[in-house]
Amino acid sequence: MHSKFRTFAGQLLIASQIFILFLLLFENKLVIPAWLQTIGRMHPLILHFPIVILLLAMLLEFFSFRPEYAKNPFYRNFLHNLLLAGSLLAAVTVIMGLFLSKEEGYEGEILTYHKWTGVGIFFFASFIYFIRNSSWYKAPVAKAGSLLTVAALVVTGHYGAALTHGMNFIWEPIESTKEAAAVSPDEAIVFTHIVQPILEQKCTSCHNPDKMKGQLSLTDAQSLLKGGKSGKLLVPGNPEISLLLQRIHLPNDEKKHMPPIGKPQLTPQETAILNLWIKDQAKIDKKLASYPENDSLRFLAAAYLRPAGQMEAYDFEPADEDEITALNSDYRTIVPVAKNSPALAVNIYNRATYTSRQLNDLESIRKQVISLNLNKLPVKDADLEIIGKFENLQRLNLNFTEISAGGLKALTGLKNLSSLAISGTKIKYGELSALLPAFKNLKTVSVWNTPLSEPEIAQLQKANGNLAIIGGFKDDGKNMLRLNPPQMKNSSPVFAGTMALQLKHPINGVEIRYTMDGSEPDSVKSPLVSDKMLLTKSENIKAKAFKNGWYGSETVQFDVYKSSLQPDSVQLLAPLNRVHQATGAKTFFDRKLGVIGANNPAWANNWAAVKDNDMILVSEFKKPALISSVGIHYMIEEDTGIFPPETVEVWGGKDAESMKLLSKFQTAMPAKGDKPSLKTMEGKFKPQTVSCLKIVAKPLNKIPEWHKNKGGKALLLVDEMFLN
Amino acid sequence: MEKEILEHGFSFNRRRFLSSMSLGLGSVALGSLLMPDLLKGGNRDEEGLTPGIPHFAPKAKRVIYMFQNGAPSQQELFDYKPKLREMFGQEIPPSVRGMQRLTGMTANQASFPLVGSFVDFKQYGDSQAWVSNLMPYTARIVNDLCFVKSMYTEAINHDPALTFLQTGSQQGNRPSMGSWLSYGLGNENKNLPNFTVLLSRGVGNGQGVYSKLWSNGFLDSVHQGVQFSKGEDPVLYLRDPDGMNRQERRDMLDNLAQLNDLSYQEFGDPEIAAKIKQYEMAYRMQTAVPEVMDLSRESDDIVKLYGPECLVPGTYAANCLLARKLSENGVRFVQLYHQGWDQHGNLPFEITKQAMDVDQASAALVTDLKQRGLLDETLVIWGGEFGRTSYTQGKLTADNYGRDHHPRCFTIWMAGGGIKPGMVYGETDELGYNIVKDPVHVHDFQATILHQLGLDHEKLVFRHLGRRYRLTDVSGKVIRDIIS
Repeated sequence: MHSKFRTFAGQLLIASQIFILFLLLFENKLVIPAWLQTIGRMHPLILHFPIVILLLAMLLEFFSFRPEYAKNPFYRNFLHNLLLAGSLLAAVTVIMGLFLSKEEGYEGEILTYHKWTGVGIFFFASFIYFIRNSSWYKAPVAKAGSLLTVAALVVTGHYGAALTHGMNFIWEPIESTKEAAAVSPDEAIVFTHIVQPILEQKCTSCHNPDKMKGQLSLTDAQSLLKGGKSGKLLVPGNPEISLLLQRIHLPNDEKKHMPPIGKPQLTPQETAILNLWIKDQAKIDKKLASYPENDSLRFLAAAYLRPAGQMEAYDFEPADEDEITALNSDYRTIVPVAKNSPALAVNIYNRATYTSRQLNDLESIRKQVISLNLNKLPVKDADLEIIGKFENLQRLNLNFTEISAGGLKALTGLKNLSSLAISGTKIKYGELSALLPAFKNLKTVSVWNTPLSEPEIAQLQKANGNLAIIGGFKDDGKNMLRLNPPQMKNSSPVFAGTMALQLKHPINGVEIRYTMDGSEPDSVKSPLVSDKMLLTKSENIKAKAFKNGWYGSETVQFDVYKSSLQPDSVQLLAPLNRVHQATGAKTFFDRKLGVIGANNPAWANNWAAVKDNDMILVSEFKKPALISSVGIHYMIEEDTGIFPPETVEVWGGKDAESMKLLSKFQTAMPAKGDKPSLKTMEGKFKPQTVSCLKIVAKPLNKIPEWHKNKGGKALLLVDEMFLN
Repeated sequence: MEKEILEHGFSFNRRRFLSSMSLGLGSVALGSLLMPDLLKGGNRDEEGLTPGIPHFAPKAKRVIYMFQNGAPSQQELFDYKPKLREMFGQEIPPSVRGMQRLTGMTANQASFPLVGSFVDFKQYGDSQAWVSNLMPYTARIVNDLCFVKSMYTEAINHDPALTFLQTGSQQGNRPSMGSWLSYGLGNENKNLPNFTVLLSRGVGNGQGVYSKLWSNGFLDSVHQGVQFSKGEDPVLYLRDPDGMNRQERRDMLDNLAQLNDLSYQEFGDPEIAAKIKQYEMAYRMQTAVPEVMDLSRESDDIVKLYGPECLVPGTYAANCLLARKLSENGVRFVQLYHQGWDQHGNLPFEITKQAMDVDQASAALVTDLKQRGLLDETLVIWGGEFGRTSYTQGKLTADNYGRDHHPRCFTIWMAGGGIKPGMVYGETDELGYNIVKDPVHVHDFQATILHQLGLDHEKLVFRHLGRRYRLTDVSGKVIRDIIS
């Protein structure tokens, strides 16, 4: 070899030593980008070259001091180059290996051994390369060195193979196979398929017949029950005092904590499984299926057998992505059930645009569809023929579609169908009971709101034990409910001339009866509400809703107010309370009433209030109006100091200057503990023609002695006035 | 001389060039191993995520969250503590209260007398869960429910606690849970918004809810919660103005789309294309929304199931019914808020009313989903933002008392969506003050919800202001014990 190249290659060797040292030093901080992963994955490809070349080189090195070879220039030269090439290739392999080891799934003891022996080979071989021309490098050193390298090659190779093929790869075929093949939760035995694998994963590397740490082996039931140096491991029924769990539960830094620090620990789920298993007497033969459906052990064990989040395996190819995109439309969504899953979920919406084509279009992805939602679409029996070809379908929603039993027959060929929803269809008992046995894998079927009666559903459930038949709620008349009260739909309870009363109830077929004489409405005698009922004056209406199968509603009261005169302008002569401005002077004739409730945010909206001064309102009429009464609508809330006005004065005349007192009236004050209420007080007087009207309402000046604010001024809240 | 210097500069031969370049390249390559983003342009950090597709096969496809706003008292509803009745009026032991931070409302209280529930409890179902007599309908569906009695949170006041539960942070400005799900799962029905919000209130002392709770935060605005209101226009600004018919609207949109398309051709801004799509969606919503909101065709059985109020728009019962209809039509996340659970005083009266408001309809929603075969793919959640204290707030009389905010423990329930049915998880001490078994932090709860929808809460991230954000911030673990 040209010496220039050899020098260069030698430098490269040193460079790779430094690089590998760097990689090892910063191993924990390394993040391998995708393109380097590709290089890392070539590790298993390249590694065979350094193995063979180094083996050959070491063989030659072993004999290199034999005189006949030592003098042969070709032998010497060839060996030197071979060692160099082998070391360089070892460097490449190590680098790739380190990259590969950062990928998921490579961890644990075997990896550690493989990594360090592999790194060892590289450094050892390159070390030999650099020192082999020294004067002290003699035959014994060469022989020892080459033997050591060969041994390291074998060990590394073995661990490497164990990494890819499993530890017992070579002997497996001749050993008795007791491997736990994937077992379904229905057949699993708790000890064999769940407890033992946990022990095998986390314990038996130290507690096995070959390596009985603490004189304990955990490889089989007998030795588990026997215990070790510290005594028995299990107290059936009593996990708290079972040594096995005590050791697991010790704090991690405790010396006796198991598994020891640095070894893979039990997950909380695994600990919980062991705990529950011991609690249930640590039975060796008990089947998982013998535990009740909602037993914790059963849940945890089932999750252990098929870890949560693990993708269900499908044996079909994913559909073409462009195809999926093309099939997606405004009313049809097709999405993968999960990332990297070939399975698709399809939802179709909108009655108006549905046709069979929506399903026919899916022909190219029929294998991939596992979930199909056709809720409330006009799906017909013929459409089910198409669905019958979706061979991997698992969930099908046909609620409120137009299908019948005849059509469902086309679905019996769907081997994977596990959930079928046919609520709201016309399917009948006889048809369904004949059909159901043909669905082999079905787990749930919902039949609510079909012609099936409750006894029929019970009968179906009895005949199909493994299948959950969901009936749902059907009113049997036993739980009578009280109707909610009728509602008044008029835009305002205040009217000028006449008003057609609109009392409504949201439930169909409800009768509303009413009275206007203050008596309780009655389900027989009181008149029915009709749209034609015209109100001509202020009234207090009591109404109640009735319907068969329901208790009558509570009585509800509606006050309607006639206010036939609307002033052309209004003006307040004294200020309103700062927080109760409402809409100022306009408040009183806007036909909007307020409601009770100090915590209601809408509370202040319609209420105008005064406290420190009188409420003085002047209204003007462009056309003189004949007036005979003034009503004031106000709130009483004794607890918060809201009282009726002390007195109200009504003044009227042709203009502001010539007004005279028309009426002065009062009302009763509330007593202690009176409930909050809304009231109207009215002053009547001899009919007068006025153009200008002044209303003065005086708030209560001194709150009575019994009140907590005694002697203070009361608040007066008014939302509307009625002029007739 | 100058000539030589110049020539020396040019004599940068191939070998020198290559060797110095290899040094530079080598150091860049080494650096890129330590800083993986060095050679990448832009933010490609959401590697685990393809927005719109779950990380793994989900148990649940949709969520309905019946939020009991104001924090219902667990002591009167689900967390039965007979010891509290025995110790009526006695001071809460300091060892139990510990260094608990109190709200401004009780911090100055001179004494903290314990008070038990005024209402009795019974056990129901296979799980023998305790349910108070205030919740008779819920009691009947116990076999479908998973009670978590050991929820705890970090905030002691409504706004931060609500915000924490909904967005994973007390401060606000983060996306709400529904927005995260919309971002992670995409649309099931392209004609309805992915995340909708329905509000109602009871007679009890209420606390406000506000649109920040259904904000999309830094996520794209299409993930924002859409509030459906009770009036004639459930979705604001969706109706055509008076005098415009559907054909005119169609023509207008077509012409507008042409114009938009022209500017898209010119500028190539994807936002323009998005805008065209949004107009089209709004057009389709014009027919889809009224169809969903139409309660008039619900059968009598459904009315009996949810209770008569379900046909009165704006009530909790009506919102439950609507939630089912929206969910059934592919809306990923329906968020209900029922206000009025903040019983600082007058608790017996107010909580009775509140319970009457929600009990029948909440249970009905679970039953209704079940009878349509939808419960296993819909996750239903019922609960408030924190719990209430075992001691009274304000004056304690024989038949009246109040309870203050209590973040250390509260009870929620979940149903469907792959959550174990008929189960009670977690436990509080005999005074119902501290958790003694299986605590569930709000972030754990959120992680579990995301997990049920096929999303890894550690991978559902969004890069904003230079860091990655998650619903569960930097913590949270999936509660595997309650997953079936």
